Amino acid sequence: MRSKAPALRDRRFRITLEDLNGWAFIAVAMAVFIVMTVYPVASAVITSFQNYKPFGAEWVQFDNYKTALTNDLFYKAIRNTAVYTLITVPLSLVIAFGVAVMILPFKKKTQSVFKSLYYIPAVASGVAMSVVWLWLYDSSPSGLFNQLLAFLHLPTQNWLSSSKTAMLSLILMSLLSGQGSSIIIYIAALMGIDNTYFEAAELDGATFFQKLRYIVVPLCKPTTLFLLVTGIINSFQVFMNAYMMTGGGPDNNTTMIGLLIFNNAFVYGKYGLACAQAIMLAIVIAALTAVQFKVAGDDVEY
Amino acid sequence: MASGLYSQHLRDPKVRVARNLVMGIFLFFFAAVVLFPLVYMLAWSFGPAQEMSSGSYAIFPKTWSLDSYRYFFKSNQYSVKWLWNSFVVAAATVVSNVIFASMAGYAFAKIRFKGGTFLFFLILMAMMIPYQVTQVPLYILFVNKFKMTNTFAALILPGCVTSYNIFLSKQFFSGIPTSLIENAKVEGATQFRIFRSIILPLSKTVLAVMAINTFMGSWNTFFWPFLVTSLDSMYTIQVGLKTFKFANGTLLSPMMAGAAISALPMFVLFFSLQKYFLEGVTIGAVKG
Amino acid sequence: MKKFFALLLSLCMILGLAACGGNNDQPNSTPDTPKQDAPAPAEGDKTPDPEPAAQEDTIVIMAPPVTGDYAELLAGWIDGFQKEYPHLKVEVISTAWDDHSSKLSTMALSGEAPDIAEVSYGAIGTYVEMGVAMDVKPYLPEGALEDYDQNALDYMTLDNTLYGLPLYLTIQALGGNRQMMTDAGVDVDKVQAEGWTYEEFLKAIETGTKGDTYGFVFANAAVATGDFVSIFGVGAGITANFTKDLKYAYTSENMKTLLSSVETMVSSGWMPNYAVEAGQRLVMLETGNAMITGKAMPLFENNINKNNAGIATGEAVEGSVEVEYAFLPVPTMEGVTESCFGTVDGMIMLRNNNSTEEHLKNVGLFLNYICSGQRAADTVNQLLLACVCQSGRDAQAGADLGQDPRNAEASTRCIGIVQAPPTGITSEQAANAKTLMDETIIPKFQALLAGETTAEAMYDEVCSKAVALFGADGCETGFIK
Repeated sequence: MRSKAPALRDRRFRITLEDLNGWAFIAVAMAVFIVMTVYPVASAVITSFQNYKPFGAEWVQFDNYKTALTNDLFYKAIRNTAVYTLITVPLSLVIAFGVAVMILPFKKKTQSVFKSLYYIPAVASGVAMSVVWLWLYDSSPSGLFNQLLAFLHLPTQNWLSSSKTAMLSLILMSLLSGQGSSIIIYIAALMGIDNTYFEAAELDGATFFQKLRYIVVPLCKPTTLFLLVTGIINSFQVFMNAYMMTGGGPDNNTTMIGLLIFNNAFVYGKYGLACAQAIMLAIVIAALTAVQFKVAGDDVEY
Repeated sequence: MASGLYSQHLRDPKVRVARNLVMGIFLFFFAAVVLFPLVYMLAWSFGPAQEMSSGSYAIFPKTWSLDSYRYFFKSNQYSVKWLWNSFVVAAATVVSNVIFASMAGYAFAKIRFKGGTFLFFLILMAMMIPYQVTQVPLYILFVNKFKMTNTFAALILPGCVTSYNIFLSKQFFSGIPTSLIENAKVEGATQFRIFRSIILPLSKTVLAVMAINTFMGSWNTFFWPFLVTSLDSMYTIQVGLKTFKFANGTLLSPMMAGAAISALPMFVLFFSLQKYFLEGVTIGAVKG
Repeated sequence: MKKFFALLLSLCMILGLAACGGNNDQPNSTPDTPKQDAPAPAEGDKTPDPEPAAQEDTIVIMAPPVTGDYAELLAGWIDGFQKEYPHLKVEVISTAWDDHSSKLSTMALSGEAPDIAEVSYGAIGTYVEMGVAMDVKPYLPEGALEDYDQNALDYMTLDNTLYGLPLYLTIQALGGNRQMMTDAGVDVDKVQAEGWTYEEFLKAIETGTKGDTYGFVFANAAVATGDFVSIFGVGAGITANFTKDLKYAYTSENMKTLLSSVETMVSSGWMPNYAVEAGQRLVMLETGNAMITGKAMPLFENNINKNNAGIATGEAVEGSVEVEYAFLPVPTMEGVTESCFGTVDGMIMLRNNNSTEEHLKNVGLFLNYICSGQRAADTVNQLLLACVCQSGRDAQAGADLGQDPRNAEASTRCIGIVQAPPTGITSEQAANAKTLMDETIIPKFQALLAGETTAEAMYDEVCSKAVALFGADGCETGFIK
């Protein structure tokens, strides 16, 4: 992340003003973090080595991990989640970046109209929107998407109930409903770019795409990295869509790892197993995140 | 403004108009697609408060009425209270996140202090554990240890400074020129003053984004409020909305009316904050 | 900038207001509602030192809307109970069906389970495995158990331990449009009185399919598929996950035959070839788009009658036709004794940090109170079912439910042929069977209904998974009669 701290010399025991400042700034956040996050996470790690029971848990070493790793469904769920992530996250970023860039040249009024239009879908709640999408994807010939297909003289589809289309349906839903805040975050980043960069480039005769490539993309890197990292984290943990829309079916083709963890914890009461799966998932995500930070290099500093 | 990305000195102004027109049409078309489910939701919230057959699926209901809204408000004596509860929780979450997450984000981005890198790394790692497995220990903490069932504290505290927001603000503050801060330090400003008088004014956009995202996240959370409330009077709107789903019913319109009602406060918040998205202070302008 | 801070500040003030408001008085509760807060305030205001003689105790019960107004009924019964036992307080946690089990398991996992919770037969194993379900026998009032039907008690029993008391035994089968079926040449009265075979059923739905009407519509979208397996499974002789000698039943010859008949039905065109949402099946029956539908309960007669009444006033589903509802048994496979899918929902007793012997006795007292007598009758009457305890039946006697007598008889007959599961199943077996059902059988069955796998491939898959869990010896491979 940041360049290596100057570790040598005997600065280890000297507390500088900057240290005090830093600690003061993060004090509240860290206190909350320790209670609300570190404690539950540590507890989940411990539980993953137990056959958890609220009264008298037994230590079972790596049994939960072994159980998880010998279960076909666990691999299938990871594969489903990976496919979902690999398609939705990059496409979402491209869409959000594209829309953000296209909104820029307009006058303030027009800009604000577009920004609102694109942000608004994000405010409706997930549960209610899944109900809407369930209706859109209704498999009967009178379902709205099927009416559209019939209108185009295409065969109607069994949207969420066919192995061929179920995952595609979830991906389409995610691409069309989740971009609002990415667009806004990109716009915030784009607005922050100093015009002098472009003026200088223009003097050198740079074209629009050259400016995009050599100025906008590099300067938006922290934002892109942020959206990529959080996008992948969210996508790997996705649970609501499978829970609300398909229940993981058909034939477990949309069983996401998040759904599997939820089911183990809250439906089958196998909380230790759920924790083990969650921790393995976290390791996968952490590895992916580390790769992203490596590829993206250190944070851009001016 | 970063509008310099687009060439302003095109020889022919007509080309510029044409370019904007094409992009405008595309943006409108795509917006229509993205907005469709929402329009559908709004339209059907004015539909009849009765069961629907799939044979009558259409973009708009045949008859328009306010029945479904009445149905929502009549269904439970606390329906208005649910909105209020959600608002209080979301507002409190926003305030504490905007203050404390941005302070932490600033420290991680611009103050070099011992343990900073490590702690930030820890925060990132914590985001990777799925929430499903942290609910049980949190529940033990709040219910068993703190005895906080049915309190606002239990609803607010778990989300009052999120890793996501620390990360968001850290990424944004990293983009602010360090020279700006160094100059201020040379002039004898304390870190807190720098943060308040230099950094925050430059960050209205990102703070507004953070505020609305946090508000939205909190407003839409279902599982945690559902766990820690057991009295109707302490439900949040999302928990209350769940009572609309019946085992053998397809009461589309009342459900959509509920969704529309629950989305309304966020529309209001969005429009009241949206000027901060627009202003987008240029860092260069301040520097100069 | 100033405005931004002003906004923050105002939010802070709102918060401050709310913090005061939340605890003692709601500042903006709707004016038309009388100040009538939920009866029992949460923890935290226990009187400092209750006199030892009073032995006050609080019992927590968690229930979903078993019937539409169960929460109100419950409140009334609790009042009655507290008059009799003034030292006992009862707190209710009401939930929605969808999320009842996730809240219950979170609480149970935290060691904060409610004392009593509504659970259906299939889920008991989970709580036993968790180590929170309690053997209720020692805590029930003397002689209480004699009141309940053994058949229903068997459902609350795992590995010969009784974990709770039954509320009702519900049957799930099929429902049909009497007129349409008669037109299709079906002797509905005979079917209701004697049951029917697969051939008769297939013939009926074939004749019944015409124009916009499907002979048979089963809600099969997403997880509702599971109902298809369990309901038709019973008709094929698989009355429970395990046979009488505790062998896993879904690997039997019967399953193979069942799957191939389903394959036939799917490709026949007598059923929609697309997934039907749970809510839509009843609507299709109401609009005349379905002749027979499933799963169906006797209770649907009320929904249909309500809709019929709504046709004139415009409150019915659009396109509704007058429907006379017939509750139908599931067709029975050749060579198999007729049976009906039944399951028991009951109240189980759970262990938490508060569980002392004295407390559990009080819980047992309330548990028996809520599951018997007038309470049981009031619950069950709304579901158009029969009570599973004598005191409930006595209270129920003479109640006019407005049910078609033919349906009432059919329903009574079906309840009579329900076979309770064997009581020797261990909690581990029960939990494994649940996992196998959810992770293999239902998903594969979804694929079968979508025409994406064959009956044979599915059967082989189920067998290999089952053998891995229960061992070859633990699986039935022959034909169950």
